[in-house]
Amino acid sequence: MPMFIKRVGFLINPIAGMGGRVGLKGTDGLADKARALGAEPVAQQRAKQTVDELLRLLSGASSISCLLLQWLTCSGDMGETVLQSAGVSANAFEIVHRIAGDPSAEDTRQAVQHFLKKQADLIVFCGGDGTARDICSVAGFDVPILGIPSGVKMFSGVFGANPAHCAEIIYAFLQDRLTTAQADVLDLDEARYRAGEWKVQLYQVALTPFEPKHMQSAKTLIEDIDETAIKDGIAEFLLEQFRCDASMLVLLGAGSTVKSVGDRWGIEKTLLGIDAVVNGELIGRDLNEQQILELLGKFKTRKLVLSPIGAQGFVLGRGNLQLSHTVIRAIGSQNIIVIATPTKLARTPVLRFDTGDAALDRELAANGFIRVITGYRRRRLVKTML
Amino acid sequence: MPEIEKRSIEKTVYELSSQGRSTNLMPECDVPEAKLPVDLLHEDLHLPELSELDVVRHFIRLSQRNFCVDSGFYPLGSCTMKYNPKINEACARLAGFSQSHPLQPIDTVQGNLALMFELQEWLKEIGGFAAVSLQPTAGAQGELTALLMMRAYFRDRDETGRTQILIPDSAHGTNPASTTMAGFEALEIPSDEHGNLDLAALKAACDASVAGLMITNPNTLGLFERNIESIVRCVHNCGGLVYGDGANMNALVGAVRPGDLGIDVMHYNLHKTFGTPHGGGGPGSGPLGVSEKLASYLPGPMVCRLKNAEKSEPAEKIKPVYTLFTPEKSIGRMNSHFGSFGVFVRAYAYILQHGAEGLKQSALHAVLNANYLRERLRGIYPLSHDRTCMHEFVLQGKIEGSSVRAVDISKRLLDYGFHPPTTYFPLIVPEALMIEPTETESKQTLDAFADALKAIAQEAVDHPETLQTAPHATPVGRLDEVRAARKLKLRDDGLQIKL
Ligand SMILES: Cc1ncc(COP(=O)(O)O)c(C=O)c1O
Repeated sequence: MPMFIKRVGFLINPIAGMGGRVGLKGTDGLADKARALGAEPVAQQRAKQTVDELLRLLSGASSISCLLLQWLTCSGDMGETVLQSAGVSANAFEIVHRIAGDPSAEDTRQAVQHFLKKQADLIVFCGGDGTARDICSVAGFDVPILGIPSGVKMFSGVFGANPAHCAEIIYAFLQDRLTTAQADVLDLDEARYRAGEWKVQLYQVALTPFEPKHMQSAKTLIEDIDETAIKDGIAEFLLEQFRCDASMLVLLGAGSTVKSVGDRWGIEKTLLGIDAVVNGELIGRDLNEQQILELLGKFKTRKLVLSPIGAQGFVLGRGNLQLSHTVIRAIGSQNIIVIATPTKLARTPVLRFDTGDAALDRELAANGFIRVITGYRRRRLVKTML
Repeated sequence: MPEIEKRSIEKTVYELSSQGRSTNLMPECDVPEAKLPVDLLHEDLHLPELSELDVVRHFIRLSQRNFCVDSGFYPLGSCTMKYNPKINEACARLAGFSQSHPLQPIDTVQGNLALMFELQEWLKEIGGFAAVSLQPTAGAQGELTALLMMRAYFRDRDETGRTQILIPDSAHGTNPASTTMAGFEALEIPSDEHGNLDLAALKAACDASVAGLMITNPNTLGLFERNIESIVRCVHNCGGLVYGDGANMNALVGAVRPGDLGIDVMHYNLHKTFGTPHGGGGPGSGPLGVSEKLASYLPGPMVCRLKNAEKSEPAEKIKPVYTLFTPEKSIGRMNSHFGSFGVFVRAYAYILQHGAEGLKQSALHAVLNANYLRERLRGIYPLSHDRTCMHEFVLQGKIEGSSVRAVDISKRLLDYGFHPPTTYFPLIVPEALMIEPTETESKQTLDAFADALKAIAQEAVDHPETLQTAPHATPVGRLDEVRAARKLKLRDDGLQIKL
């Protein structure tokens, strides 16, 4: 039976999550303060739960199983200790990065470079949004990443629900039984967040293992990894609704779903910015609040197309701060169109609005449900939460 | 592991071909031979050369590769794969039915019309409807027909702003597909934690843009919509119509009449509920039953009795009793002739054979069988909802301590000689396995199936790769289903015809 080797890059941010327990909003740059406040490391423990469960799943598979797992990791608290204590044999892991002194974001980035060089099939990390951002800045789209949730903030769409769930995902992915999907990686500015400002920046898009969606075909259902047809359907349906008004201002929001609508329309949509389109022509890219308000002054009819951030469901208030409550009021809540593929909605049970204006948020959340476009002439009623 | 002999792949007729072999069954030519144009004559057609026996054996072997209700248990949820009594076939083959022509003058096919008329009347009675048209040739075509009727109805009332059709997220894919085809927009409504339509969501969705709701009851989770009356009221109150997807009528016949629940229009699937064959995608039949509101929009031709038909006539000239008509505001025909006439004969025979009481007993037994099987599988596979089910139920193909998935369990069932349940549908249940045993299966069969599923659950823990690489006993193993659906290969490359 042919053997196949799978390589997993494994990395722990040992200080992740420490701040949360002691009321700090994040731990970046504050590990000493957290320790002084009595915070205990949580990342090690959560990472170990995942590894234990994964090993249990792997040992359940019979001996004729042809999967050989090779770990790539960092020394000490950034991986080695947990693998050792979980009983991973020394020849099944390789230390690709050694840490001198306190582990830092730079260590994370270097480790990921080594993972890439050694052709990791998947990077599993334990941490929060900050760790995800650091990993993603190096890994880009080259290798899928999966987060064991352990941070204070986890707004990104790359996290499993809990350590055991992560083990199941890894196990299935390594056996080629999962596909990958795009997910937004977000991180908020910790300094401003700690000062009470609730601002999150959308950083990047990463690949993450994902349950394939199921596509119906006659009497059977087959799995399909390709969402292009669905996104095309959404783009087509939007066009159909906008076509009748050539002088309408269409604002396209951030993220990969809206970008693919732009791609389909043949315009160069920015991934993270708010862009403006009139009659099929791009008239503004990556607009800031002021520029959007100016445009709104010039056009009588307007629509804003947004897609929620996967999993946590924020439609406004994360990754699109240009769309302030002033802007949203100027646009009018009835002119906001929310789009999402069924795959994205499958892991995004509720939608949220956080414009910083509670009355507006209530208006946007409507009567507990909003209509989300999920395909050509298809919408779904999705729950909202304040 | 079950002892099932691995069947071999049947070669194509091209591979079986042997040069010079032929079946010469042509009689002597008794007319002058006409020369074919030279440029149409080919020496290199590569047609297969086989003897009559080769051909017979080839097709018999192929037919034996078919899995069907006649060869084994077929618990394909939402499809009602019940046994189709052979008497139905005998009736459909009666010369008067099978050899009449759709364009024959109607006074020469009065018997056929009588049968259609009575079937219309029975379906009205069974569903509690004001009128029935037999036109649609499948459930999905019934949906499209009804939506076109709803469109015409609202156009007549100047309510053209009604563009939304509400559809529960547990619905069959044909519901939203028919909706967009008919020019409406589908709005999916979530289900609640009991597997019923979420009433709060329904209320939030009901406004003047709603043309109607499509609802399956029992729904595709095999659960009766407990709030059906409030649901219907809610939609009617906002001015919408309620469509009933009758795919699951096998649970209700004789017990509940959808018309009595306020359903305005519903399709029957004769090929499910009334024991007619599903036949590889056809011929099916999806008659529509409607309330008074929609009766005049039904597609024709329909059959009616002539007014003065009762009067006795001189024996030598039999006057026609039945005729065809098309309702006043009809949306027109959905098919060139009468629908699937051969299927009507089978369904007619089925209903006649069962009678009112028999039909009701069938529904009750279908529900009993599903609940029995569900109890036998409790604790082995997680149930989607722990409620008494109707004629089918949904399990999750997940086993504690194993990474196998629903598809692996389904494929493995093939090795045990069973057709798999409907897999990954309904979409709202992760790893769904939807099981519909139907009333025609014995306790022994249900037990054998439960035992197989139990054995598979054990295999999932002991040697999961057996499941993950199943099936092993079929002529071909695990297929790449995405590629098979996306990149159809419709031609045998051995066949090279140069023209
Ligand atoms: C719930 C439901 N609705 C509609 C249909 C469509 O019926 P048909 O296959 O006759 O077109 C099906 C078919 O399986 C079904 O299960």
